[in-house]
Amino acid sequence: MKMEEVSMSSLDNSKLEGLAQDILSDLVEDACLGLCFEVHRAVKQGYFFLDDTDQESMRDFEIVDQPGLDVFGQVYNQWKNKECVCPNCSRSIAASRFAPHLEKCLGMGRNSSRIANRRIVTGNNTNNKSESDQEDNDDVNDNDWSYGAEKKAKKRKSEKNPNSPRRSKSFKHKSRPAQAFMGP
Amino acid sequence: MSKESRMRATINQKLTEMGERERLKEILRAKLTECGWKDQMKAHCKEVIKEKGLEHVTVEDLMVEITPKGRALVPDSVKKELLHRIRAFLSQHAT
Repeated sequence: MKMEEVSMSSLDNSKLEGLAQDILSDLVEDACLGLCFEVHRAVKQGYFFLDDTDQESMRDFEIVDQPGLDVFGQVYNQWKNKECVCPNCSRSIAASRFAPHLEKCLGMGRNSSRIANRRIVTGNNTNNKSESDQEDNDDVNDNDWSYGAEKKAKKRKSEKNPNSPRRSKSFKHKSRPAQAFMGP
Repeated sequence: MSKESRMRATINQKLTEMGERERLKEILRAKLTECGWKDQMKAHCKEVIKEKGLEHVTVEDLMVEITPKGRALVPDSVKKELLHRIRAFLSQHAT
């Protein structure tokens, strides 16, 4: 009896496997037919050969597949080891570090102004200088001790449109890290 | 109708009704595009069309050329993945 059951289930299994193969076959055929219809429509509507150009151009712009070159045939690590001389401080800087160095050296770019601002603020913490003439909010003037970093954050936001709906949202986000920065 | 063909009919019906057939179709199409099968077949189509002439090519021409080659060119990994999913479905829904 048990032998029969085993052979019955293996029969079922082979039937199931056959069914799975048939289903796969159907799906593949469906994909092929889909492609046929797509191509046929493209041919009849006239856009099938649209992305082809003449043979010569196709050869000119063929993808390059050589070591040391990118797909356009350009050498891509040519400037890795070169060094540049900074026009400001006359130091020799590696090419990949040149742009960030220039940013700090010339005092332009986002990070340099932040660093400069921070230095001003830490300089002012001991002096407790008031920067309230630039503020729109009354809160700042009510503080007994200076929220130096927060002032920096507030000063930046006041330069933007005060009626913009985003203002209060980003303002709140900015003040939190500023408060963390202040410490006890 | 034999028991087997009844079971097949039921399974096929379930496949369609539960949306699994559509899903499998989409997965197959995506995988065939990914692995470059579609581009290969399109290149073959271009040759066929150049042969038959742009004006005269019919759907049947394409079907005759594309289907056998298309079946043969499906990569084994894609077939395996699809079969895996189909078997999973069958084990769940075949009595």
